Formats: sequence, C-alpha cells, structure tokens
Amino acid sequence: MVPTEAYVALSGVLFSIGAVGVLTRRSAIMIFLSVELMLNAANLALVAYAYHWAGTGALTGISGQTAVFIILSVAAAEVAIGLGILVAIFRNRASTDVNALAEVRL
Amino acid sequence: MTVPEGFIVWSVLAPALILFGFALLTLLLAVFQQDRGFLAGVALTGIAGAAVFAFHLLMEAQHGVAESGFGLRYLADAHASALTLVILLGTALAVLVGQGTLERMRLDHPEYFPLLLLSATGGVVMVSAGDLITLLLGLEILSLPVYVLAAWRSDLRQSQEAGLKYFLLGAFASALFIYGIALTYGAGGHFDYANLMAAFSASGFEANLVALLGGAFLLAGLGFKVALAPFHQWAPDVYTGAPTPVTTFMSVVVKTAAFGALLRIAATVFASLEPGVFGGLLPGVLVVLVGATLIVGNLGALLQPGVKRMLSYSAVAHAGYLGLAVLAAGDRGMAAAGFYLAAYTLMNAGVFAALTQVMDDDDRGDGIDRFAGLARSRPWLAAAMAVCLLSLAGIPPFAGFIGKVLVIQGAFGTGHGFLAALAILMSIVAVVYYARVVVAMYFREPSGAVRTQPSRSRPVGAAIAIAVIGTIVLGIAPGLWYTLLDRGQNLLVFVAAR
Repeated sequence: MVPTEAYVALSGVLFSIGAVGVLTRRSAIMIFLSVELMLNAANLALVAYAYHWAGTGALTGISGQTAVFIILSVAAAEVAIGLGILVAIFRNRASTDVNALAEVRL
Repeated sequence: MTVPEGFIVWSVLAPALILFGFALLTLLLAVFQQDRGFLAGVALTGIAGAAVFAFHLLMEAQHGVAESGFGLRYLADAHASALTLVILLGTALAVLVGQGTLERMRLDHPEYFPLLLLSATGGVVMVSAGDLITLLLGLEILSLPVYVLAAWRSDLRQSQEAGLKYFLLGAFASALFIYGIALTYGAGGHFDYANLMAAFSASGFEANLVALLGGAFLLAGLGFKVALAPFHQWAPDVYTGAPTPVTTFMSVVVKTAAFGALLRIAATVFASLEPGVFGGLLPGVLVVLVGATLIVGNLGALLQPGVKRMLSYSAVAHAGYLGLAVLAAGDRGMAAAGFYLAAYTLMNAGVFAALTQVMDDDDRGDGIDRFAGLARSRPWLAAAMAVCLLSLAGIPPFAGFIGKVLVIQGAFGTGHGFLAALAILMSIVAVVYYARVVVAMYFREPSGAVRTQPSRSRPVGAAIAIAVIGTIVLGIAPGLWYTLLDRGQNLLVFVAAR
C-alpha cells in the first residue's frame, strides 16, 4: 500500500512546479495553466488526506472528497472569467505576453 | 467541544440571500429598463433590506444569543454582523458613486450594479464563514465580479491590464489558499473551525508541522487579498488602473471582507495551535509582514506624484494598521478592527468619491496640480476631501484617529510594543503625503494650464456627505459603534490559557 505521505509529497512537487511556472512564464495563458496545476495539486492532497482520514474511521473522510468537487467548480468559474478578460485584451493588441503589458509592472 | 447539528437557519442567511436576490433582480431588470437611476434605486433597496437583517443579528449578539447556522459553519455573531453592515455601507457608497459618474465616464453599462451586489454577497459570506470551504466560496464570489469590474474599461489599456493582473495574481492567491485548506484538512481532519480547534488543541496532537504549513498558506492567500507586503505589488497598479468607482468598491469592501475572514481564522484556528515552537511561528511571520506593510505602504505613498496612486499606496499602509489588530485578534483585536474598518470604509470611500469629481472623464489627470486652489473653486468639495484626508492621516477629532488608537493599543496589549512604535512613527510619515494634498487645495494658487473639472453630481455628493458625516460622528462619539462591537458576543473565539 502506498502511504499517504507519498501522495502528499507528489502534490507538493506538482504545486511547486505550478508556482515556479506562475513566476517564470511570460504568456498569460501559460501562467493560467500553471495556476490550474497548483489547484489540482491541492485536489490531489485533499483526496489523499480524505483517504487517510477515512482509513482512521473518521466520518469526515467523505468531506475531503466533496471539497474536491467544490474546488473543481470554483476553478471552472475562474477559467470562464479569466479567458473572457484574456480575449478582451487579445482583441485590442493580439498578444498575451505579460511583458507587453507596459503600463503595469507584474 | 460539542458542535451542534447542521440545521439551516434562514435568519442567519438572510443578509447574503437578500443581496443575492437583488443582484439577480437588477440583472433581470437591466434587460428591460435601461434607466440607471432606477437600477441604482433597486440596488440600494436590496442593500437596505440586507442591512435591516444584519442589524437585527447584531442586536441579538448584544444580548448574548448570537445565531449560527449549519452547525457553526455560518456564524452571525457581533463580528460577522458588524462587518456585514460595514460591507453594505461600502457597497452603498460605491453604488452612489457609480450612479453619479458612470455616464460621464462613458461606462454606462447596467451590469455595474448586479456585479457590485454579487461581490458584496461574497464578502458577507466571507465574514460570516465558520468553515474553510464556506470561506473559499465567499472568497471566489467576492473576487470574480471584481476581476470583471477592474477590466471594465475596454477602451483603456490601463484598465484591461489592471484586470488581467488582478485576475492572474488573484487566481495564484486562490491556489495558495486552497492548498492551505488541503493541508489544514490533512492536519486536523475537518474543515469547520470548531472541530479544527478541538483537533489542534487536543493533547497528543502530532501534525503540528502540517498544520503550520497549512496556516502559512492560508495567511499568504488572504495576505494577497488584503495587500499585505510582500503580496501587495498588485494593489497600486490595479487600484490606479481600475475605473475610480470600482476602486472605491475594491479598496473598502474587498479589504473589509478579507480582513474579517483573517481575523476570524487568527482568533480561532491559529490561536488553538500549540504555543511554543509551532504556535509562535505564525504570529512571528505575521509580525514581519505587518512591519513590512507599514513601511512599504507609507514610504511608497510618499513617493507617488499622482493622487490616485498615492491613495492606492495609502490603502496598502492601512492594511498594515489593520494587521496590528489581527495580531491581537483573540483579545480586543476583533472589536478594534471592526471599528477601524468602519472608519476606513467611510473616509476612503469619501476620498475616492471626491476624487471622481476632480479627475478627467477617462480616469486620467490625478496630478496634485489639479487640487491647487480647489478650496476657492469648489469649497465644499475641498472641505470634504480635507476631512477624509485628515482622518486617513489619523488626526483628531476624526474617526481615523480613534481607529489608529484602538489598533495600536491592541498591539501594545499583546506585547508587540516595537511594532506599535513603528506604526506610530509611520503614521507621522503619513501626515506628510496626506497634508500635501490639503495644502495644495487651500494654500496654492490654481495654475492656469489646468482646467478645473466642472462636473457636479448629486449621487456622488450624497456619497461624500454620508462619508464625511460618518467620519466626524464616529470621531466624536466612537462609542456609538465600538460598544456594539466590544460588548457583542463572538462565537468560537479561542480562549484557552495561552
């Protein structure tokens, strides 16, 4: 049996890859994808912990799994808004490179 | 600790539900009825209805019968109801400012009102949350409409870039926050504060490191929203780039909601972590963040040539003062922050509302020259702006002064004397940049090159009047509001021997 720590460690690695992506990528879409990776890392950790707590006989094992679905829907709402803003900007200047956002310093 | 069964209590949900219902109503009415004044009236009716219920809940809390729903997962105690009222006040002021300026700014889309109400709904859920998942949903309902509003001005690059930047960093902050939720769940096995507190303070609790990491991620996620340094970098650009009525809303309501949630977590979950090595680390991190915020916000504001950007940095600085209250959250901090947030909402919304009357229609022209001689051409506007600015600077007899005294007292009371001294020092620095505008208004000749802004609008005038009167009343009789906060019952606050 794979111990819970292994799953959590994997989620930590995924989360770090996502965070590095946010800080280093230049395309707004790639930054956005990196954020999604971070969210899914959190989901993986939640599922792993839910399995762990269910294994100890705690009733709250199921609430961790439910939380994953809530976070998935939150992420979907964020995608809808984010892509809307991106499309509006792309229409004005045909680029999603954040370095081209001259008037704001990211 | 026993946690009651999770029943739905409708009276507890009433403020949020009314706001949500009126948000949908204004959205629907906007299809048939394009009259902005009418939609603003509907929005204000909804806000007033929600305020009636929130005030009722605040009175319940005064008599020690604070209500909660879903088994302590949705709280309506003194802290939650009072901050709900503050959020409603900020939203009402933003509605008035928007109603008075949007047409002139050629941003005359009726969606402004439903988006504001939806965002305020999220804020109300955040300050009432007694559960991390509830808090997350509130945070997202609050944030998503504001991303749209910030990027609203499609003809101005600055605004779209502000929207994109706010969105990307906001999504990053949400991801940090969600990872914090996952780790906290891993450590405690629950999402609701009551059970987490029971788990963390139980003897033989082993997962201190995971709980601490979870707490740190939660702190970082909320730190982004309230603009604590070093997570503040988005704030000046987004506040400056967004249309001014939207900035009015963002700078007061988003800050109130996020601080409400942070105070609650600090007073419950964080406070129940074992004192010593692990429990002491989180307050230690917070001390560094608050100190950095005070310095960065105030020195940043000192260096800005534009008044709108100066006010954006000043919003960061005020996050620092509120951070002092978070450090004292278990003690008097919640009441102090409740007062500070009410005062801040009044004076900051007032100063941004006045700013819309001075700046150009396209949100440009916030140079200090604009304000030269304003006392002669628009004496009432100048006086209102001066009151709000002096209150922001913390000069008696205005509300901002009382707020600063309360949070600094709280910091002294919990043994953060050094930080309190830093806060006092920095509020002296703050006087310089606020006074610069006041001096320009009253003692400088208007320069001929700058044309004076002729716009006058009755709704904005009403918003400024409410803000100024509130600032003065709270400054002279702070007990009116502070007693409600201080005597009211707060649920869940961790009071173990620390």
